[in-house]
Formats: sequence, C-alpha cells, structure tokens
Amino acid sequence: MTRSIVARPGAANAGLLRSETAVAVVVFFALALLPGVASGYVVYIVPQYLLYGMLAMSLALLWGFGGILSFGQAAFFALGAYAMGLAQHWDMAVNPAYVALLISIAVGGALAGVVGYFLFSAGVRDVYFVLVTLALSIMTEQITISQSDITGGYNGMFIPRMSLTFGDASLDLSDDVPMYYTILPLTIGIYALLRWVLASRFGKVLIGIRENEDRVLSLGFRTPLYKTAAFAISGAIAGLAGALYGTHASFVSPSLAGVLFSTQVVVWVAIGGRESLLGSLLGAVGVAALSNYLTAITPEYWQLVLGIVFVLVIMAFRGGVAGALGGLTAPRRPETESG
Amino acid sequence: MQTALSVLVDSTLITFVFALAAIGLAIIFGLMGVINMGHGAMLTLGAYFTWYTTSAGVPFAVAVLLAACGVGLIGLLLEHFIIRHFYDRQFETLLLTWGFFLVSTEIIKIVFGTDLRTVTNPLPGAAHLGPIVVPAYQGVVALISLGLLVGFALLLFRTTVGIKIRALVQNAEIASLLGLNVGQAYKLVFVTGSAAAGLAGGLISPMLSVDPYIGNVFLVRSFFVVIIGGIGQVLGGTLVGSFLIGGSETLFALVSGQVVAQTIVFALAILVLRFRPTGVLRAE
Amino acid sequence: MAELLRTAGLSKRFRGLIANDAIDFALQSGEVRCVIGPNGAGKTTFISMISGHQTPSAGRIFFRGRDVTGSSVTARAQMGIARKFQTPSVFDRLSLHANLELASLGKRSTAAERQTRITEVLDITRLAPFRHLPASVLSHGQRQWLEVGMLLANRAELLLLDEPTAGMTAEETHATALLIRRLADAHHLSVIIIEHDIAFIRDLKAPVTVLHLGRVLMSDSFDAVAENEQVRSVYLGQG
Repeated sequence: MTRSIVARPGAANAGLLRSETAVAVVVFFALALLPGVASGYVVYIVPQYLLYGMLAMSLALLWGFGGILSFGQAAFFALGAYAMGLAQHWDMAVNPAYVALLISIAVGGALAGVVGYFLFSAGVRDVYFVLVTLALSIMTEQITISQSDITGGYNGMFIPRMSLTFGDASLDLSDDVPMYYTILPLTIGIYALLRWVLASRFGKVLIGIRENEDRVLSLGFRTPLYKTAAFAISGAIAGLAGALYGTHASFVSPSLAGVLFSTQVVVWVAIGGRESLLGSLLGAVGVAALSNYLTAITPEYWQLVLGIVFVLVIMAFRGGVAGALGGLTAPRRPETESG
Repeated sequence: MQTALSVLVDSTLITFVFALAAIGLAIIFGLMGVINMGHGAMLTLGAYFTWYTTSAGVPFAVAVLLAACGVGLIGLLLEHFIIRHFYDRQFETLLLTWGFFLVSTEIIKIVFGTDLRTVTNPLPGAAHLGPIVVPAYQGVVALISLGLLVGFALLLFRTTVGIKIRALVQNAEIASLLGLNVGQAYKLVFVTGSAAAGLAGGLISPMLSVDPYIGNVFLVRSFFVVIIGGIGQVLGGTLVGSFLIGGSETLFALVSGQVVAQTIVFALAILVLRFRPTGVLRAE
Repeated sequence: MAELLRTAGLSKRFRGLIANDAIDFALQSGEVRCVIGPNGAGKTTFISMISGHQTPSAGRIFFRGRDVTGSSVTARAQMGIARKFQTPSVFDRLSLHANLELASLGKRSTAAERQTRITEVLDITRLAPFRHLPASVLSHGQRQWLEVGMLLANRAELLLLDEPTAGMTAEETHATALLIRRLADAHHLSVIIIEHDIAFIRDLKAPVTVLHLGRVLMSDSFDAVAENEQVRSVYLGQG
C-alpha cells in the first residue's frame, strides 16, 4: 500500500496544508531573491521552468484533484504561444501582448470547456477521455504544421519580447530581470488562485468526483458540469502559461503542441506529486532543469532514467515526491474516544 | 492523375495495413481490456528487430518471425513483472504502458541509434490484375493481414482455447471457478497481442523509414480502430474500424490534402466515440 | 401523516423477463417499511426505479404528489430521494468530516449550518470519535452508517436502503435497527429497506411488504406476515 497524501478538505487537512503553505512561502521567497545571487543564465532560464510549472499546475488541478487525466495540455500551451506570436503583427491602441494574453486565456478556457462538455455530458471518461486528448494534441500539432502561412509551419515562429505598458509608460521585457519579476508574481498568483479554488465548494466537489464520481452523482451534483469547469480552468491556465512562454522563449514551433511534450507534463506532475500543487510546480521545475542540464551531456540515458523513475512512481509512489515527503510531515492523528 | 480504381486499391491496402497494426491492440485492449499505450513501441521494436536481423543477412520472413517472438518475449516480461499487478486499475496500466513506451524508445535510441534505417522491400515490383496495379509487397501484406484476422477470429470462436479465453474475459471470477488458470490465460493473451504487434511492425518496416517513433503513428489510430470497430469484435470490427480510420483518410486526402484528412478522420472518430461508444457494429 | 411516495402500476421488463409487475405501493411520511422476498423477487429493481437508476417499462412514481417518473437520478437526489447501495460507497481516503461535508454541500446551506449538520449526523450515527480519520479505518458496519449519515447530511427525506446489514455483526445489525428507528421517530425520515435478516426486521418493528415474482404478495405488520401461510411456502419453496 502506498503512503500518499490524502487531500482532506476541512479541519483534518489543515495541518498538512499549513505545511504546504509554509513550504510554498519559503520557496517563493527564495525565488524572489534568486536574481540577486544567481548568474545571468539562471535568471534567464528559471522563468521558463516556472511557466512549465504553471502548465503542470493546470494538469494537477485536472488530474490530481479531479481525477481526469489529460494527455493534451500542450495543445492549449502551444495555442497560447502562437497567439502571442500572432500578436506582434497586430496594430492596436491597446498593448497587443495584453490582448494575446487575454485571448490565450479565453480561447484555452473556451476550447476546453466546449470539448469538455461535449465529452463529459455523454459520460466519456477515464481512458476514452485520455485518448481523445491525445488525439487533440496530434490534431493541434498537425494544424500548426499545415497552416504554415499563419504559423510558419515546421520552421516555427519568432516572437519578440513583450512590453508591459501602464498608460503611457512602458517597460520592455527584453532584459531578463524585469521578465523574471513579471513571470514570478504571475506564477505565484496562479498558485494562490488554484489553492483558493481547491478550498472552495467547487474544489471539494471536484475532489469528491476524483474519489468516487458515482457517489457524487447520487448526492445530487451534476458532475459533468464540474468536470467541464475543471477542464476549462486548466485549459485557460495552460493557455496563459503558453502565451508567456512564447514571449519569453521568443520562439514557438509545432512540437510544442505535440504528444511528446504533452506527456512530459504528465511525467512532471506524476513525479512531483499530482495531489500537490506545489509538488507539481516543483516537479516540473526540477525535472525540466535536470533535463536541460543532463540532456547536453547524455540525452538518451537521462530520458531512460526519467522513464524508469516514472514507472516506479506510478507503481509504488502514487503521491510522487510531494507524497513521500508529505508522509513525513502528516499531522498526528487525534486520540479516539472510547464508546 | 489517380484513377478512381487506383485510389480504391490504395485505400484498401492502407486499410489492411492499419488492420494489421491494430490486431495486437484488438487482442490486448479489445479482448482483455488492458490499455496498452506501449502498443506503438511494440510495433517499433518489431520494426527494429527486423531491420537488425535482415541487416545481418537473415531472410526477411524469418526475420519477421524472430521479431514477433522477440516482442512477444518482451511482452511476457512486461506482463509478468509489471502489468499483472494492475489488471483492475486502468489508469495505472495506461501510465505504466506509457512508461514502457518511454523506456523502450530510449533503449532503442541507445542501442540502434537515431538515424533513419531502411528495411529493403523483399518483394519489389507490382502485380497487374487487369487495370489494377497492386504493389506486390503491399498485396502480400494485405493477404497476411486478412489471414491473421480470420485466423484469430476462428481461434476465438471455434477452438476450446478461444472459448476459454472469451469466458475469462467475460467474467474472470467464474472462469477461475470453472478451473481456468486465470493468470496463465492473461499471460497468453498478452504475449499473443505483443507478438502480433511485433509481427506487424516487422511487416510494415519495408514500407516506411524506420525511426524510434515509427510505431506511434499507429498508436492512437489503433485505439480508435478498436473502439470504433467495436471492442471485442476482432474480425469485423477491426476491418470496419481500419477502413474508417485508415482507408477513409486516403479518400479524404484526395480532396483536402494529407494533414486535413487526418484531422477530419480524428474528429470523426471522436464524434463516433462520443455518440456510439460501443462501436459502429452492433454488439452481439 | 402525509403520503410521501406512491407507485401506480410500476412495471419493469427486461427482454421477456418481468422483474416488476404492476406494483402499487404507498409510503407515508416518517414511515419505515421493509421489503422482503426471495431472490429474484424484484426488490432491487423496485428500489432502482424509485431512485431513478432504472426507467420503468410502465407505471408512474409520485413523490410528494409530484410525478417523478421521468426525473433523473440527480434531480431525484435533489428532491430528497436517496439511495444507498449494497456495497458501501463512501470516500475512503477522505475523513468522515470531509465525507459529510461533501454530502452537505449538495444542498444550499451556509458553512455554519453545514458544521452543525455534520456534528448532528456524527452524533446520530454514533461516529463522532472518527470525525477526522479517513473512512477507510471504519469497519464494514460503520461504513454503512457513514453512508447513511451522508444521505442525512444531503438532506434526504426518503432513504432507500438495499440490504444495509449485509456483512454486519450481530451487534452492528442491532445498532443499525436502533439507528433507523431514531431516524424515523426523532428526525422524521422515511425509509424503505430491502432485507433478508429476519432478526433485524423483527427488531425494527416496522410493517413489511412481501414481493414475489415481481408482484406484491402482501403488505402487513411483521407478525402477520411471519404467520402467513402463503409467505412461508414462497420462502420455503425457494429453498
């Protein structure tokens, strides 16, 4: 039997969540100080990892807390990046990058909502849903390849760094430090937003659906609506992360929509700990950072190790790294009264 | 300029290729209900084993059979050490077999390298049947594919082994009470499905350039073939599903180009999945 | 007492097999009724049609005077018709508190109301010591009570219990009878129970409806039913 974090909403979980919150505060504080102590390359690359983390959190919401596995989050991510890429050609009074961000969120959410409702309302779940998301990922990749007039096809699209505009003032994010301090707060914001969502009535029902959907249905909840909403939220966040990634990395190509990247997200979340937002975030950051470092040295062996770790995690460590650690910090059980 | 006839021939040949690729999954997923996301990897392994042995001088037909055995063996190990502990947990099986894909792909890259490999067509040339021109190798593969489907269908419905397997699939508990060794039966089915995938990979290898991801083209499509054809309907379902997923893509591609055709077929497959989850053929 | 539930001519056919045959049934508000009958008598099918998990082939179902024959499971759950399945279906990995909280979220309420309700339900089901433990630590019988508790937290008015004492020890069975009595007498719930355990039914002191081959054989007090010749032969004949 695996020792996994039980996400227990309500008083019982307060101890555990308080510890995750404590860890999160420490982590974000450390991240805020990072540019002061780290080299230029680190300041450049960490925001990208944070955006992967944002993408991972979107999957954690859906899978870790809703029990809905998706192999297609990359599709929303890529669409967001392409939207940001297209925005560079727009001539408008408002900062086109802002519009691109809004579009990414809206389109990601709407697309996920429509597809989600279409499938969940018919009871398409579990494996069948996974297959459909896999197919959608492939379709998105194909579309981005084929519509090369718009997307640049295989060659991809170059995307300039956006600027933040406040009225007449504007801050160009071409430098890594201002970019870092734009993406970090957004990541923290999304984390806080998702924590809030999970603590709400909606979040509790979602967790119930993960645990026993039939029981939730029989209690009078219209579960397809909740699942659709979860998918829509995750699609919107993935779209946002993608748009930011596009402007940060300054480049997007069809492989960002593809199956291999989509399933990488699943690997990050599984290893980091799917039932922990912070675990998923750090799982993405950690694995991506290690990949970046080790791929230069030994790509196949690293990917092989990663694959083996993934299999081990699924077999024996359902809670991922966060679960393994969380088991060590679980609150003591209260004494039971007699009678 | 393609004539209608040649298009039909192409479409038919593709249908049989897809059917061949899907047989392994029709057995493992369609029959046993095990979500094998490593199906594509098994095809890839079959292709690489075939390439390796033919490069060493082994005759093609023998190479393909060796590949089938090799992949069957790998399937046995996979089942014994991992899969059999998770038969009642679909999600875990899905992820574990996906992990198998990740691991085996990297091992292939390490052992065989990432360059594109070619397997020489053992039967070049074409047969001319009246106005129809059929590439010889593709024609033989189509026949093998049909033969395998019919063979498996007969095996399942006309032999004692087949009847026992079908009983097992319906209700493992009762089957074991009736004296069927459930563990062994599951192993047998899983190994057969793996070997079939390996065989398919080997047979398909001369038609495409072999790279570590060659099998994945068939992964999602094979699932759709099995689901849309109808789970458990090994003969008719696989054929109908293969046509709808594979053959029709060729037809669509005439008007709209390859990529759009693929997208249309996937979209249609999703629609069918949503509206008729038991498959296109009426269940028995 | 007002009439809570009524079925008129309720029938269910499965491809030639008649599971329920024109059943007329009425339950008053606050009443407890046991439904018994040999295997295959159609008891579970009957319950399934009331909860909405099966659609009738013919007949109507009225809840509080309203025709609910076409309503979905979810709609009926929201009206207060709650089904408890034979195998306990709770959220094993969540604490009892979380289980009950989720159940109570199904109906409109404030957080304070929910807290009160949860405490109340834990009290009624005698499960308060386990409030913050995961449901997986409970015994089989206790999980059944938790599930009943969840239906209470969900503001159920009509409980449909399918063999609630299956797998329970003798003490647990007795405690279950007391629980159901409390629910009906003190909390005005109405309960239909499918049961086989004669001691439990006797303990419950509730009227009994006997089903046989999909039809109502008789409906009377436990003692009257126990002495009835036809009922005895139906049970013995099936043995």
